[in-house]
Amino acid sequence: MAGSLTLDPSQLARAGGQRGRQSRWLRWLLLRLGGVVFVLWAVASVTFFALRLIPGDPAEAILGGPGSQASEEALAQARAHYGLDQPLATQYLVYLGRLAIGDLGSSYALRQSVVSVIGDTLGPTLVLAVLSLAAAVLIALTLAVWSTRGGRGAAALGSTLEIVAAAVPHFWLAISLILVFSTTLGWLPPVSVPGVAGLVLPVLTLAVPLAGFLGQVMREALLDAMESPFVLAARARGEGEGGLFWRHALRHAAIPAVGLVGWAFGSLISGAVVVETIFARQGLGRSLLSAVQSRDVPLVIGVVLVVALGYMLVTTLTDLADRLIDPRLNRRAQQA
Amino acid sequence: MTRTRTLPLLIAASSAIVLLSGCAAAAPQNTEPVKGGTLVYATGDAEPSCLDPHVGGNFPQAIISTQYLESLVSKNVDGEVIAWLATEWTVADDGLSWDFTLRDDVTFTDGTPFTADAVAANVAHLKDPATASSTGYLALDKVASVESVDEHTARFNLTEPDSALLDSLSQPWLAIESPAALQRPQEVNCESPVGTGPFVVTGWNRQQSVTLERNDDYVSPPADAAHEGVAYLDAIEWRFLPDSASRYAALRAGTVDVIDSVQPDTIIAAEDDDAIEHIDAPRPGASNRIELNSSVAPFDDIAVREAFIRSANVDDAVSSLLFGTADRSYSALSSIEKAGVSEPDLFDYDQKEAARLLDEAGWTEKDDDGYRVKNGKRLEVDFPVSTNQSIPAEVSLFEQLQSTTKEAGFKVNLEPLDLSSWYGVLGENDYNLVSAPYTKVGPDVLRILFHSDSTIPAPSGYFANHAQVKDPALDAVLDRASEITDEDERQELYAEAQKTILDGYFILPLYDQQNHYLLRSDVEGLRTMPTVATPTLFDTWLDR
Repeated sequence: MAGSLTLDPSQLARAGGQRGRQSRWLRWLLLRLGGVVFVLWAVASVTFFALRLIPGDPAEAILGGPGSQASEEALAQARAHYGLDQPLATQYLVYLGRLAIGDLGSSYALRQSVVSVIGDTLGPTLVLAVLSLAAAVLIALTLAVWSTRGGRGAAALGSTLEIVAAAVPHFWLAISLILVFSTTLGWLPPVSVPGVAGLVLPVLTLAVPLAGFLGQVMREALLDAMESPFVLAARARGEGEGGLFWRHALRHAAIPAVGLVGWAFGSLISGAVVVETIFARQGLGRSLLSAVQSRDVPLVIGVVLVVALGYMLVTTLTDLADRLIDPRLNRRAQQA
Repeated sequence: MTRTRTLPLLIAASSAIVLLSGCAAAAPQNTEPVKGGTLVYATGDAEPSCLDPHVGGNFPQAIISTQYLESLVSKNVDGEVIAWLATEWTVADDGLSWDFTLRDDVTFTDGTPFTADAVAANVAHLKDPATASSTGYLALDKVASVESVDEHTARFNLTEPDSALLDSLSQPWLAIESPAALQRPQEVNCESPVGTGPFVVTGWNRQQSVTLERNDDYVSPPADAAHEGVAYLDAIEWRFLPDSASRYAALRAGTVDVIDSVQPDTIIAAEDDDAIEHIDAPRPGASNRIELNSSVAPFDDIAVREAFIRSANVDDAVSSLLFGTADRSYSALSSIEKAGVSEPDLFDYDQKEAARLLDEAGWTEKDDDGYRVKNGKRLEVDFPVSTNQSIPAEVSLFEQLQSTTKEAGFKVNLEPLDLSSWYGVLGENDYNLVSAPYTKVGPDVLRILFHSDSTIPAPSGYFANHAQVKDPALDAVLDRASEITDEDERQELYAEAQKTILDGYFILPLYDQQNHYLLRSDVEGLRTMPTVATPTLFDTWLDR
């Protein structure tokens, strides 16, 4: 897929030469940025108030969770320390003010700053997500190509495999992979261990359902492209079948797949909650799960903000990638 | 498969078996403990937020801190209090002061000497609101202060006599830490608490593991330990593996050596595996039981309480859903509490008797669904279930009881809830049935669970007397039992209290609070502490 992202130099030259283009790009970027800030504010506010609406005293969450038999003195001390004795509006404004300068506060449950918790767990989750995405694209592409070029039997089998893969829930797949590759065959460790061996099963668990979705979309697009007029024209020019497929149709098939990457990122993060727990991997998903369970408000908001930011970053990048792969989008923008 | 092919295959198979059994025979069979090695312990309990069990005070903290912290006293398997960091203790005639003679050869792993001042500093730390202790704080309720009589004699001054003081002090949540280390900021002490135990916390990789290394200067095992001197293991890797299925897979693959929080189906699956052994160590304190809220209708009527209990077929549900991994209990107390009294006859499954009791209590009509009705009101009871505290098999058990009590005409509304909402419902007295575990060392747990004082909510809304028993005579018995130190008289009083509770049909006992461990069979010498059934790896060695 990396190949389909290469830029046409002539296009770039044209873009650089036009002042109107530049201001349009700037406006697009500013709008995007404004959107990002708005979404972050909305996410932070909704999460803040949603977590406060749930019954239960946040001071209890600080003192070892609900049902803790904490004394009145201890509760009062915790409330004062975290500013929970202030009116809700004051707490909200103080919270927003801190957020604006990048201070996410400190986790109730972990007694660490939220920034450092996220700093520790973001890396492992990103590694997992990127590897899973790469594996998913590889599997999807292989399936799509094989099922469109391998004849009728391959087409039927390919599409069945894709549907099954897309429908498999993460927790079931994870346990099945552990049973087969770890318990029965003994090839791979059942829980995360340092090194590559510990990554294989978690990555496969996330990649397979995603590959099912991507594969279906790619196969449709490939079949579509192979029958479209531009392929007919190329065929008429004397282009061979192989060249047609790899040079023209594949690029066409990449467009919907790239569009799905933003969505895929979201699905990978939600899948990470399950996968990181089952394989006992360090990561953002596992932090989020335990934070929600212990009503650790600052950590929940912190993780949700980071995920929202990541999601917007990825959708912006896929928008850009779309423009590069599909010149029609740029031309349309110019005409507008 | 043809006959000609079968024979070579059989030969191959049998030679493989011979080879394998040869290997098994050659495996090390040491009877003398082997020194060295790292044991990987995988816990399914939550990752503690603080490794110092003074802060908060829950079971996940207790199991790990047993490896590096020690208490003043412990208990043996017969339930007797035995020496640990304290060698002797005497109580004044008025019961208001206790003198503990401390070991004089013990040093904390940061080099601070273990003295009476250290004990005083620990009690002060537990009682300081800034520490936010809940379990330890409650246990020290009657302790006013601790003073040093001399360097190695600590005097506990009490506000009123407390016969449960030794039981309380034996708990891991009241372990003694280095007073110098306690001076550090709480975040620091949470990451590296300093004690006198056989291991030392050397690292904590969050969401992954805590590393514990052997304390080479260790001298203070409890009186019932299997050996003297330092621990056999070089180190322990304490891993957090939250998922039950992958935890068991990791044990089978040998990635880990010991797992806890083992579910009934896993125990059964492991029975056929020679490479895996099982330790069943029920927790002390209360048995797991269903409490009937006697403060609101319909369970304010003892006849309706008895009818519910008679129509609940617990025995069949326990054996079918827990596969014989737990024994039925007929007591308010755990089977490991010597003061426990069992009354099996009170809990016989008897639908006819249940029907008769309900008729007598005026629930004579039945509606179209078969539920009993009285004065136009259906016999309906709410049963909020905490999905954090009840394992899936237990939730299924409640569902079976729901269907057997339906035969008698009860409509049981099971409501699965998260922990916060569950406590919310209890705090609002919006429940008729509830099941809540309670771990504490000794029969004084009865006072916490059934004294009328425990119906008054704590500041957080928490209260422990879910059956809402408010009986002045029972209160008097429990108060008296908590004050006297004569062991025989104390046992009699606790027996009397339990009889009142069981005869009043306030609770439906199910089984002990379950606590199962699975370990690879080359892990030797692992035992659980007779106090709160936490595992101790001091005597443990690896036969490999």
